[in-house]
Amino acid sequence: MTMLSYRDAVGKALQDSMRDEPRLIIIGQNLAGHGLKQLADTYGENRVRDCSISESAMVGMAVGAAMKGWTAIVMIAYADIASVCHMAIVQSAAKLHYLANGRLNCPLIIRLPIARFRGHGPEGNEVGASWFYNVPDLNIAMPGSANEAYWSFRDALQRPTPTLFFEDRSIHTRSGEITENSSGGKAQITRSGDQLTMIAAGRTAALAEDAADQLAKEGSCGAVEVISLGFIKPLDKDTILKSASKTGRVLIIQDEPPWSGYAPYVRCLLDQLPAGKLTTAPRIIAGADQFLPYWDERPFLPSLESVVAAANELIGNKV
Amino acid sequence: MTATETTPDAGNRSAIEWKLYVNMLTTRLFEEALVRWEHEGKISAQTFPSKGQEAIAIGCCLALERGDAVIPSFRTRGAMVAMGITIVEQLREFIHSPLAAGDSRDAPHHASWPERGVMPGSTMIGGHLAMAAGLALAMQLEQKGEVTLAFFGDGTLGSGDLHETMHIAGIWKLPLILVCENNGWEMATPWQKVRQTQSLIPYAEPFGFATRGVDGNDALEVYNAARWARATALNGQPVFLDCMTFRAGLYSSHFGEVRGGIEQDLVQWEKRDPLKRMGEWLAAQGAATPQDLDRLRQEEERRIDESLNEVLAERTDMAKGARG
Repeated sequence: MTMLSYRDAVGKALQDSMRDEPRLIIIGQNLAGHGLKQLADTYGENRVRDCSISESAMVGMAVGAAMKGWTAIVMIAYADIASVCHMAIVQSAAKLHYLANGRLNCPLIIRLPIARFRGHGPEGNEVGASWFYNVPDLNIAMPGSANEAYWSFRDALQRPTPTLFFEDRSIHTRSGEITENSSGGKAQITRSGDQLTMIAAGRTAALAEDAADQLAKEGSCGAVEVISLGFIKPLDKDTILKSASKTGRVLIIQDEPPWSGYAPYVRCLLDQLPAGKLTTAPRIIAGADQFLPYWDERPFLPSLESVVAAANELIGNKV
Repeated sequence: MTATETTPDAGNRSAIEWKLYVNMLTTRLFEEALVRWEHEGKISAQTFPSKGQEAIAIGCCLALERGDAVIPSFRTRGAMVAMGITIVEQLREFIHSPLAAGDSRDAPHHASWPERGVMPGSTMIGGHLAMAAGLALAMQLEQKGEVTLAFFGDGTLGSGDLHETMHIAGIWKLPLILVCENNGWEMATPWQKVRQTQSLIPYAEPFGFATRGVDGNDALEVYNAARWARATALNGQPVFLDCMTFRAGLYSSHFGEVRGGIEQDLVQWEKRDPLKRMGEWLAAQGAATPQDLDRLRQEEERRIDESLNEVLAERTDMAKGARG
């Protein structure tokens, strides 16, 4: 059994991928001399490439390299910057496999660390995954644990279309076991319970686990089931519907505003359940529909308190 | 003989001058047919004719070698022709034939044949240039002596991706050839309204590109420049070819002519028409008589018409087969 922090799990995924795939390159800023010095020393600066601050061209180049069978990991400094290369992600990367009628694959990873709670301000504390939710063929990973961080990264490189890898820095130090094998993109049930299903990804998956643990301590032991999605697109519909059928109550937690993203999507999915399966209307806790101030983002985002309170309400606990 | 085969036999047809001429002729006649067929309702795709500019795409692509890749622009049908994609194969994409290699997913001017070096372009002006640089990067890493060439119009100067691409390709010394079809017009806007100089060389040079201004209406000059560019790019310096030309045809089959006050320009540039010039050169060399060229033109026209009939019949036959 290997225990790793979330941060080290991403690092190990990078190392193992570079080891296993000789035609894998990493493109980004300040890598060889700083962020990925060890990898650059091992594999050389041909494969760990320092690039000018040209996010759009970096993604476009990764697509071009994919046409020749090379896979690139594009290191974007933080998730907000996905807006700078939106065109290259949507028009060039996501569409290549489709436009070429499957004759070309584009398995690249665009690494987008979520950098909130670090004082970056409203242009540095967004998630932005939901901006891309309606782009067909685009995989979106939002790992909520070290294991998901490792395996969603490795899985993404096997897919024929690109992946946005939303790595949440706010849970970098959380540790977990790395399994021997991949779940193959399936969601993980990280807490088992029979009264309420919490569905979340990234930081909110960790939040849901903490909430389940707190509720257990407070007497609702074995009540809450937590599903960590790992990939928020495509997502594991079966695990969601099966758990919701079992518990009859659903709470979806999303770290972005609720207009789009996995929260409203999952809530729509629940309509596929036969009438009467749910004992109460599913609920969403999402980020506020506003930008987040530099001085403190937390009041506007899902919190342990808000999740525990909603869970108690749904279960019918009197607190 | 099927509609896809033709063997014109006057003069030494294996000489590069002949290849340039025949490819330009095919492209000119094919695009004229595409516009006509669209207006007749036989096909539905918008065509962006390259009339007057054919020498650039064809001169460049005939200079490439096996393993090289090209990313066409929306006005370089000649690139597909010169890369050996037959009229039948191209038409399959137009009409969504069951045999269309790309399943008619991409717009016909961006259709691709990756295994033959014709890569998907982009409708986002400049977006394809970064992809070209990525292809060139893979080629540099593989060290097989291959290059990537990409076409774009001079209006692309306004695109950030062109500058980002040149910025990176210059410092990484990628085996990349950027070919500007510099016709001086950004659809209906003359270059004077949108930039300082007509030539783009002053913009490309500081990024570390080897540059050359080229008479884009002289097919042989384009070809020779592209051969030089290929050698230079493989030798460790990306190349920018600024090919001066003039669009003698429509902006597109949908928009027609959108430029005002170009009557005199059209007269002047007609004298420099690349197809006519190459034909005159062949005649002057004694390689062909005007009658030979006329006959070749008629053969090509017939072959192109037959190609449409062939793909339409193919689609009908397969639909019948599917029902049967």
